[in-house]
Amino acid sequence: MTQGSLLLFVLAALLSSVIAGIRWPRAWLALVIGGAITAMAAALWTLLGSRWEWQSTFLLGGEALHFRLDSVSAWFLALVAATGGAGAVYSREYWPDSHYRESAPKGRIWWSLFLIFMGLVLTVSNGLHFLIAWELFAVCGYFLITLDGQRRETRAAGWLYLAASHAGTMCLFAFFALLALHNNGSWNLVPMRERPELAPLFWLALFGFGVKAGFFPLHVWLPSAHASAPSHVSAIMSGVAIKMGVYGIVRFGGWLPIPSAAPCVMMGLGTVSALLGIAFAFVQNDFKRLLAYCSVENIGIIMIGIGAALLAATHGDAPWGRLALAGALLHIWNHGAFKSLLFFCAGSVLHSTHTREMSRLGGLLRTMPWTGGLFALGALAVTGLPPLNGFVSEWLIYLGLFDAAVGREHIACFSIPTVIILAMSGAIAMAGFAKAVAMMFLGRPRTRAAAHSRECGVWMRGPMLALAGICVAIGLAPVVICPVLSGIMADWRPGPADIQALAPISTLGAAQMTLAILVLAAAALLWRRTCREDLRRGPTWDCGYAFPTARMQYTSASFSGIAASWFRRIFLPERKSRRPRGIFPLESVCMERFPDTVLEKLINPAGGAALQLYSAARRLQHGRLQFYILYVLGGVAGLGVLVMIGGSP
Amino acid sequence: MIIIADFILRLAFWLLLAPLLPGVINKVKAWVAGRRGPPVLQLYYDLAKLWRKGVVISEVASPGFVIGPAVAWVALLSSALLMPLGPAGSVVSFRGDVLLLIYLLALARFSLAWAAMETGSAFEGMGTAREVSYAVLAETAIITAVLALIVNAGSISLITMLSPSTGAGVALLAAGLFIVLLAENCRVPFDDPNTHLELTMIHEVMILDHSGPPLAVILHGASIKLLLFTLLLVQVALPLGEMSPLAATGALAAGVLLVTVGVGLVESFLVRLAFRRVPLLLTAAFLLCLFALLVVWKGRAQ
Repeated sequence: MTQGSLLLFVLAALLSSVIAGIRWPRAWLALVIGGAITAMAAALWTLLGSRWEWQSTFLLGGEALHFRLDSVSAWFLALVAATGGAGAVYSREYWPDSHYRESAPKGRIWWSLFLIFMGLVLTVSNGLHFLIAWELFAVCGYFLITLDGQRRETRAAGWLYLAASHAGTMCLFAFFALLALHNNGSWNLVPMRERPELAPLFWLALFGFGVKAGFFPLHVWLPSAHASAPSHVSAIMSGVAIKMGVYGIVRFGGWLPIPSAAPCVMMGLGTVSALLGIAFAFVQNDFKRLLAYCSVENIGIIMIGIGAALLAATHGDAPWGRLALAGALLHIWNHGAFKSLLFFCAGSVLHSTHTREMSRLGGLLRTMPWTGGLFALGALAVTGLPPLNGFVSEWLIYLGLFDAAVGREHIACFSIPTVIILAMSGAIAMAGFAKAVAMMFLGRPRTRAAAHSRECGVWMRGPMLALAGICVAIGLAPVVICPVLSGIMADWRPGPADIQALAPISTLGAAQMTLAILVLAAAALLWRRTCREDLRRGPTWDCGYAFPTARMQYTSASFSGIAASWFRRIFLPERKSRRPRGIFPLESVCMERFPDTVLEKLINPAGGAALQLYSAARRLQHGRLQFYILYVLGGVAGLGVLVMIGGSP
Repeated sequence: MIIIADFILRLAFWLLLAPLLPGVINKVKAWVAGRRGPPVLQLYYDLAKLWRKGVVISEVASPGFVIGPAVAWVALLSSALLMPLGPAGSVVSFRGDVLLLIYLLALARFSLAWAAMETGSAFEGMGTAREVSYAVLAETAIITAVLALIVNAGSISLITMLSPSTGAGVALLAAGLFIVLLAENCRVPFDDPNTHLELTMIHEVMILDHSGPPLAVILHGASIKLLLFTLLLVQVALPLGEMSPLAATGALAAGVLLVTVGVGLVESFLVRLAFRRVPLLLTAAFLLCLFALLVVWKGRAQ
């Protein structure tokens, strides 16, 4: 038995789950979980050192089927399996048949197909088939986002997603077609590092995959799609689907020769994504949009790592590039785990309060202790605080960049600004998640909906706990992952691959473990010391204010006000306010909105202008025959004139 | 055996000596103002008293209100243990430990922010918002200073990073880090540790609702943080690695005392900044560190 038979089983399970999804939710769930576990097993098998390749003579579209599972794709496949399985369990309670009679079966079917096509994208080794799988994967994503098509906002978000996704796919069409052209018509995908004439093609791949990965400024579809989709879909979109774009970049970054400017551009784009992504996240008042923008930041961090790795690869395989690459690879998984966890928690809040406005929540920690605690854990992980997993991967990336700063002179010109901005975005991430946690879970409930919220059930809590477990495990024992990371790097491009020789990761693991134990011990000690018989409860002191109400609490917008003012040239906030007037003011309003600058100030106006142009051109086509004859006459006359002027050759 | 003794001595150093610094600062301030002032050991008495006291907790607060300060204290103490003590070195040193130190400080900040927001008070919300926002600039300045040290020493572990002389950039770096020290430890001109009821506050307002042992833990943690930043500043400013151990120890102690007195003098002669100027001063600190980085860079290139 090889991975091939396991993967065949996965395919069979998922395909039958498509049928089971129509009517039999339990069978569907069992099949999806079975498929996910098997896929995980196949991925682990590959990661532990045996790659798998299978070529058939069966033709599809004139090309022979060719599958390959090496450790790079297995790393992503494991992520798809983990989140796919967790999300399927989660959706049982979150999107049940009893509530969504129409869309629940659709959701199950598209979910299974989504997993199948993501798996295919990761395993096919033929450009044409890659394109087919890619397109189908994108379309499944569209149907999942618009599951709840009743709402106008959701439809708009889905439409934007589809448009952006196709803009990227168009580039990929050009990319694979040109690649096939250069390979004498063969669509087979193999390492092509020794052919410098292929280097310009990397730009096409960078743009095409970049749209899916969602780094700045190609992220325009991401915030609304991730915010409007059902939360289990947001989780897999944010945690896994955008990683397919990263997969493309990692894969072809490893297989193609790299144009010399590309690594620096990638690092630059990554830096901008990290800073602006998290800055936009900080000012959001909608918690799902906040999480979505935070994905832009994390993709930026991953891009910085990959960019640094490519930079090192073009400079004689310097070991610091491998450190950054290890960080980026680990961050792919880490982000998959904690972002899915956060979206699951967000879904749990949404499920019970029906609002995405943070300023309408508050005090949920008392009614939803599990969700609150797990969200806090996810927030600690996503801000990269020790002793969780986010810190390990960011630490590796920093270490690589620091080594680059110490080493060669002109490379340091890129790594030093990157480090500074990365640190800045880390601090903003901390501020943003402090705000999210505080507004949603701490203090007093600001509305009735928040006061009457209820904890989610076991089906939603289970997947959340599993993902939280991954975050804690990678954080406390990063050494376990090291051999896997080394294997992936060896498969990626030849070069130094032993991570433990480059970074003292076992020492870090020990430090993290010690820290975790100390934190628990100190917390327990102080809690015991505090909870004695003389513990008293009283109203919040608040400098002696006698009757505080819940609405006097600090709001989300005021929390981020200071930082928002620093970035106002970029955010261009829209503000509507009616100040209180007169001696007995009746009402006053202040509304502030932070539109996505790239979408609303750049792409929307450009799109509007293009539409105007097209509708002006459409006036030529009005259905009156005599005018059409005139066009034909005019055309013939024009041709005649052209021939006359052109003369004979 | 020696390792354990060494560890216990260090722990004792940080735990016992840290609360001395605020006492010295207060003594300096009193001396400048011509008062007698509280005893140097006042914070020790306060901590002992607070530890014995009962606690009043807001009805709104959950256990996080108490756990937050505990986590912050552990994070601060752990980051302190990573900081080398001149010739004595540090407990554990590895490549990249400086990042762990910076992120532990961030962890402390996050958990204190959490504890502050537990009460649902607008005051504490305001303080927390300011704290986390200004931390963005402070952290940027710190990482820039660290980069300058890294480029200078060619190493990314704290112990080797801090030992060589920083050359011409040292004055810029020390000035930048001194401003960061003032900002991070709620000192004038950023914050006034003496007041409680004014709106222009950052850190102090975050702990309005804490009392008893949790407050003691917060105050002790704050004094550890002050000592940590002071030690960082002194070790950056003085090339301790190039002195004999005895001289280095003396220089370290004198340096810490000097910085502490300096903080006291700043507090005596300066007023708190207008609120909108706080980011400007922090940006100035960042720029100082950045120029130091450039100077070090230039010095190394030649």
